[in-house]
Amino acid sequence: MRRLIGTAVAGGVVLAGLAVALRRRFGPVRLRRGVAALQLVARGGARYASSAPRLFAAAGEQRQRLRQDLALETAEDVAQTLGAMKGVLMKIGQMASYVDEGLSPSVRRTLSRLQDSVPPMSAELAAGVVEAELGMPPERAFAQWDAEPIAAASIGQVHRAITRDGRAVAVKVQYPGIAEAIAADLDNVALLRRMLRITAPAQDVDALLAELRERVLEELDYRREAANQALFAEFYHGHPTICVPTVVGKLSTRRMVTSELAVGARFADLAEMSQGERDLAAETIYRFVFRSLYELHAFNGDPHPGNYLFHGGGRVTFLDFGLVKHFAPDELHPLMQMARNLCVRNDPEEFRRSMELAGFLRPGAPLRTEDVVEHLAVFYATIREPGPLTIQPDYSTAVVRRFFDVSSPVAEYVSIPRSYVVLQRINLGLFAVLGELSATRDWRSIAEEIWPFVQGPPSTPIGEAEVAWRANRRVPVP
Amino acid sequence: MTADPYATGLVERSAAAYASGVPEQPADDGFFGPASVTWRTASDLSAPVAGLRALMTQALHPLAMAGVDQHSGWREDPVGRLAATSGYLATVSFGEKAAAERAAARVRKIHEYVKGVDPVTGRPYAAGDPALLLWIHAALVESTIVARNWFGTPLEPADADSFVAEMVVAAELVGVPRGMVPATAEQLADYIASMQPELACTPAARESTAFLLDPPGLDEDMAEIWQDIRSGVIASLPGWACEMYGFRPEPMDDRRRNEIRQALGVLDAVFLGEPGVLEARQRIAARVRATRRA
Repeated sequence: MRRLIGTAVAGGVVLAGLAVALRRRFGPVRLRRGVAALQLVARGGARYASSAPRLFAAAGEQRQRLRQDLALETAEDVAQTLGAMKGVLMKIGQMASYVDEGLSPSVRRTLSRLQDSVPPMSAELAAGVVEAELGMPPERAFAQWDAEPIAAASIGQVHRAITRDGRAVAVKVQYPGIAEAIAADLDNVALLRRMLRITAPAQDVDALLAELRERVLEELDYRREAANQALFAEFYHGHPTICVPTVVGKLSTRRMVTSELAVGARFADLAEMSQGERDLAAETIYRFVFRSLYELHAFNGDPHPGNYLFHGGGRVTFLDFGLVKHFAPDELHPLMQMARNLCVRNDPEEFRRSMELAGFLRPGAPLRTEDVVEHLAVFYATIREPGPLTIQPDYSTAVVRRFFDVSSPVAEYVSIPRSYVVLQRINLGLFAVLGELSATRDWRSIAEEIWPFVQGPPSTPIGEAEVAWRANRRVPVP
Repeated sequence: MTADPYATGLVERSAAAYASGVPEQPADDGFFGPASVTWRTASDLSAPVAGLRALMTQALHPLAMAGVDQHSGWREDPVGRLAATSGYLATVSFGEKAAAERAAARVRKIHEYVKGVDPVTGRPYAAGDPALLLWIHAALVESTIVARNWFGTPLEPADADSFVAEMVVAAELVGVPRGMVPATAEQLADYIASMQPELACTPAARESTAFLLDPPGLDEDMAEIWQDIRSGVIASLPGWACEMYGFRPEPMDDRRRNEIRQALGVLDAVFLGEPGVLEARQRIAARVRATRRA
């Protein structure tokens, strides 16, 4: 499924094109696009890493909850806020933030402002959507319905409710008319194409555009998100520490997703807990990311702290499956070969060859292999050697800096193949979180448990507890 | 004159002027307030069309155009000139009364020095002349209503009347006696129709408006996007104005109209991305909604 990545990149290109065009600054960016983009992302990544928890504490739901005073009251209010391309841009922005590549600060700012510019729906407007979807008002569809939203979501908002069979649930409700408005705006192929052409004159603009439209249209249908969440919930069913809320299928439709309500501590609360608790939570998040990647061949593209709830003892609930990237098994094979050759076989020449095969390193680059290894070692710093290791708050910053370190002689021969761009979110998201927690674990031994080419024995109590889950998994692992 | 400062500076400087025109902790509601149509329909995405259409219309008055051409320095700093105007409009519309009065006093002061002879008609002009000021006022008010009807959220007829009536005070602020100012949509239309014999497309009007509609130096793709805005402006102009300029408006079906709305939405998103713009809009919206609920 290269489609998501292609689309996300296309999104970045569209937006870069847009702002660049409108601000007449594309000369230097176009000429030195690669370099400029990398520098910008490096700066963005560093900021993300160093201010992650504060950033997230201030972002999204809380702030928007405060803006009930601006609530949208009619479908016309929605159209004014999200119609005329703004919903399309917002959606693209959400995907672009997921790849980060090629976004100038002004584009980044425009996108984030656009996200911030969307107030919640009034209680009546949200209830109207539920009624349209279920054929009855929320007070009848549910035993209890909390009219005030608890969180903002992409093109929607989340309400608490209790189902008629007594389950506490979170209901994500989409803004009325938004899907139609976005779909109609996606029909203005000429405008989208112009914006694409401005920054990507050499690209196959029509192919990018086709992917962009298809991907955004998919995003508008919440049934897809429900299906992704159900897939993760099914895979982790019975897991000792990973919880994914169950989707309530009969209360989920195109414009609403109902899932079991999860309650727990937020990331900011975790930072106040003991280091032991933080280490356990970090281990669970790590296991979730890599088990999902290597076994489910899926990556939840939004690994930010707002999507975690903590329950103590390392138990973590994972929320929001709106942006899930699925990989074909053979797409991940080259990445595994790289880790295996460097960390397990300790064979620098083979490592270099696997990098070339994966498309990360230009074949025949006039570089000494030891320099290549030295340049990339930071990416594997947590898993080169067994033994306890603390991930420092500045680790993800260092990784991101290295990734975009254009001063190194190695840099000019290194590039990110398109289908792996999304995995930068591991560096930006996962390691930023682990670093904020100053988490200590024997990451290498945990990785060995998960690596399909090692399948090492349990190395921690959570690993021990996973044994039973693994033996009784509902979803077979290849 | 290059295109760079035009597009780059226009968004940034208009945004800064707009944001600073909307006060954070106002001492009063200004001349309009949260119950007014002016506030309720603020932030309409048709604003760029309204602004350009107003300038196109205003420019057809030879004396008004001569004053701008001979005194405003638009050639040296077109962006500064436009940003100053949008800042003034924001302050008058959303600022405290005292701030609006101060801004208007500054404008009246500048107008004292704007005098001369129009080279085309040979007639003398003075920017402080209420007749000229009324034309500028009327063209803007009418263009706001027309642009909304074409590309934004249309005003109900009653709201259009209220809007015209609310705006009378804006004309008064720059020195037009209240009795001269149209106070209903019908009076406004009559006034504008009555002015046609006075109007002409002078070389200065042609030059300055050509710059607005077709900023020099835009690259091909950007020029195409700008073309949408331009088409919208021309389509929304009265037939007689198109004739004077020699424009042939393209036919506007729903599809084309929607394309222009989309281009305007993109512009609006960029404007919203500028520092302070979102907060300024939220300040207005929060007070409007609180008043609506009360």
